[in-house]
Amino acid sequence: MQRLITMVRREFWEHRALFWAPLIVAALFVSMAVFSVFLDGSVSISIDGEDANFFALLEADPVIRGQLFAVWMGALALPQFGLGLILVFFYLLDCLYAERRDRSILFWKSMPVSDASTVISKLAVAMLAVPAWIWMLTMVSGLVIFAALSTQLSGTPIQALATFSITEWFALQGFILGDLLVAALWFAPVIAYLLVVSAFAKRGPFLWATLPPLALAVAERTLLGTSYLGQFFIERLTGYFSVFSTFNTRTSDPELLGATIAEAYGGLNALPLLAEASTWVGVLLAAPLLVLAIRIRRWRDDAL
Amino acid sequence: MSEPVICAKQLRKRYARGPWVLDHLDFEVAPGRIVGLMGPNGAGKTTVLKTILGLTPFEGELTVLGKDPRRERDALMREVCFIADVAVLPKWLRVRQALDYVEGVHPRFNRLRAEDVLANTDVSLTAKVGELSKGMITQLHLAMILAIDARLLVLDEPTLGLDLLYRRTFYEALLNDYFDQARTILVTTHQVEEVEYLLTDILLLRGGRLVLDCPTDQLAERFVQLITTQEHLAAARALQPIYEREVFGRVGLIYESVDAQALRPLGELRTPTIADVFVAKMQGVIE
Repeated sequence: MQRLITMVRREFWEHRALFWAPLIVAALFVSMAVFSVFLDGSVSISIDGEDANFFALLEADPVIRGQLFAVWMGALALPQFGLGLILVFFYLLDCLYAERRDRSILFWKSMPVSDASTVISKLAVAMLAVPAWIWMLTMVSGLVIFAALSTQLSGTPIQALATFSITEWFALQGFILGDLLVAALWFAPVIAYLLVVSAFAKRGPFLWATLPPLALAVAERTLLGTSYLGQFFIERLTGYFSVFSTFNTRTSDPELLGATIAEAYGGLNALPLLAEASTWVGVLLAAPLLVLAIRIRRWRDDAL
Repeated sequence: MSEPVICAKQLRKRYARGPWVLDHLDFEVAPGRIVGLMGPNGAGKTTVLKTILGLTPFEGELTVLGKDPRRERDALMREVCFIADVAVLPKWLRVRQALDYVEGVHPRFNRLRAEDVLANTDVSLTAKVGELSKGMITQLHLAMILAIDARLLVLDEPTLGLDLLYRRTFYEALLNDYFDQARTILVTTHQVEEVEYLLTDILLLRGGRLVLDCPTDQLAERFVQLITTQEHLAAARALQPIYEREVFGRVGLIYESVDAQALRPLGELRTPTIADVFVAKMQGVIE
């Protein structure tokens, strides 16, 4: 375990953006929220429909209140999540490629560390360490922003929202962590594929990562007239986000407002993806790709 | 007698169906030896090291510290320390991070020892490798070598591109502070003269073949250099020298395994240096 921690730390030393970029974004959010509250002094909340009903509902129903709070705070995690995807994508392309380009692979390979543990440490960075870091940052920045906003909300019609409930808060953190980990599972085959590319590419890992799937899809379309592969790739890349589609539901009917919030709250949860076969098909696909990446790193010796 | 540290039998390697890069090598390295693996560029030195370190596939038999480097590489690397030339430590790595990393993954690394060694140098723990001079990187390498309790140390051109002072101190530290009877060093280098005095054995490679495998203390018995003049040249050539060179009107001939008494009447006899033998073996006729 200590070894794995050392190896994961080493990845953060090399790819410092994994550490700094989410931290800077979190700091930016916090300072924006704090400045807007204390300097500007205005919080604008616009709700379609009859506000009075909404405020009454908010006052009366702690469940709805908690859910709205979660949706509101969950929006904080979203940009971090997008940033994390981009960071991890470029990290994975680089992690087994740069060491061959600068020949430092000879140093890493002079250590008693197997190629399997090396590749697994990089997988752990993508699937666990970066999600955990993003989660921690969202949690902390969420708390600060909540504290700043709640001072501003007290005395307004929606002050009910400013009532901090530790259970709601913990439930929300659980949601976000769950979403991040489900994302890691869902994208596992993509992650493993990028590791293979990174271990394999002699140059231009970005092109190696993007062109072959594209070429395969185009070839299938022109030769067979079908587009199973293209659909498969698109589904793999976008399928994860389909669970969040309920975010877009809008209504102005006060009767349905509670239901809408409940639905949006439910949409925060990616756990239903765990019940879908395609998640696990992806994990099964990831395993042989991972083995391939390990083998390539084990036997490739053209960096010497 | 203890078992050899490295034992190669019919070790061979080639890429696809190309020529043999390593052409049926047989050699053994006993514990407590300092072996120079020498040869011109492309002779296969680095390839031999790569097979020993399990970095590349090969055919034939090879055991290192009793292990097969293909299958037991990870266990092997616990007892082998490998330092390639100065350019392989990543530039972004800080000296402290390098120590943290090795401490974290290497069970036989003594961090205090490494810090002690570095304390006597200009290498700062907070510096990045990219900011260090080649000489400082070698000092960092040396600190790692001295702090890792390895049974076999493999050095691939460890002093390439360094000035004389650093090269000397490197090898002196290696000999005085590291080497003992329980350890074995295998070093490849171009700079034959530099390592001459510390080697106990030399392995000479040429075109993937082993052309010499000899303890240095037997070189004098095995090789002899005759300095003669044109009038004795025909007689001298008849004794089958392996190498011939004309210098200022006189001719230097090098013989391998020849009766020195037969040469004595023909001119002056000398013991060739390792460099002489190297050149003779590299430029001489290959049978």
